Amino acid sequence: MTMNKYEVVYIIDPAVEDEARKALINRFNELITGNGGSVDKVEEWGKRRLAYAIDYKTEGYYVLVNFQAEADLPKELERNLQISDSVIRYQVIKQIERKVGIKPRAVRPAPVAPAAEAPAAAEAPVETPAAE
Amino acid sequence: MSEDRGEKRPRPRGKRPRRKVCDFCVSKIEYIDYKDYKRLQRSVNERGKILPRRMTGNCAKHQRQLSEAIKRARAIALLPYTVD
Repeated sequence: MTMNKYEVVYIIDPAVEDEARKALINRFNELITGNGGSVDKVEEWGKRRLAYAIDYKTEGYYVLVNFQAEADLPKELERNLQISDSVIRYQVIKQIERKVGIKPRAVRPAPVAPAAEAPAAAEAPVETPAAE
Repeated sequence: MSEDRGEKRPRPRGKRPRRKVCDFCVSKIEYIDYKDYKRLQRSVNERGKILPRRMTGNCAKHQRQLSEAIKRARAIALLPYTVD
């Protein structure tokens, strides 16, 4: 099966105790690893001000997890995030694979004198039949 | 007839707009990250709306990526949907 790269950000209720929060983060990570996925990176941004209130809360504890998994895992993860009352918002995103083996486009040469001459030369033969 | 074609429409005096270039192309950004909200903040106005291309001069490719990134950032409360 092919593995895809995903990235999930979820916001935990800041009222949740440190211990419970750690357990929660662990639970989600184990959900990924327990279903044939692998966790690449867990980044805790910590308590941040929300840009707008969610459920009357103005702060949230942000957690970012990069992981690899099969295509049906994100759905299961989202279901679990949805069920958890301590998670106030989540977003799972599939990371686009960087295109490899494509050469960067050559830098277009600056328009100089030869470039200006070319269209003039091309026009000349077209105009002659029109004049006749 | 064909000689006229090359001529540009006259522009009202003193109104020549400056040619804008895409900031993201200039800084060679391949992928606009929705987590980089500080950068995204520059691309929204004080009401939190996404600035149109005609104001920023972004290229189509980056404007598409940018609007996607801003919308993602809004969803996880990194950026506001509205400010008033």
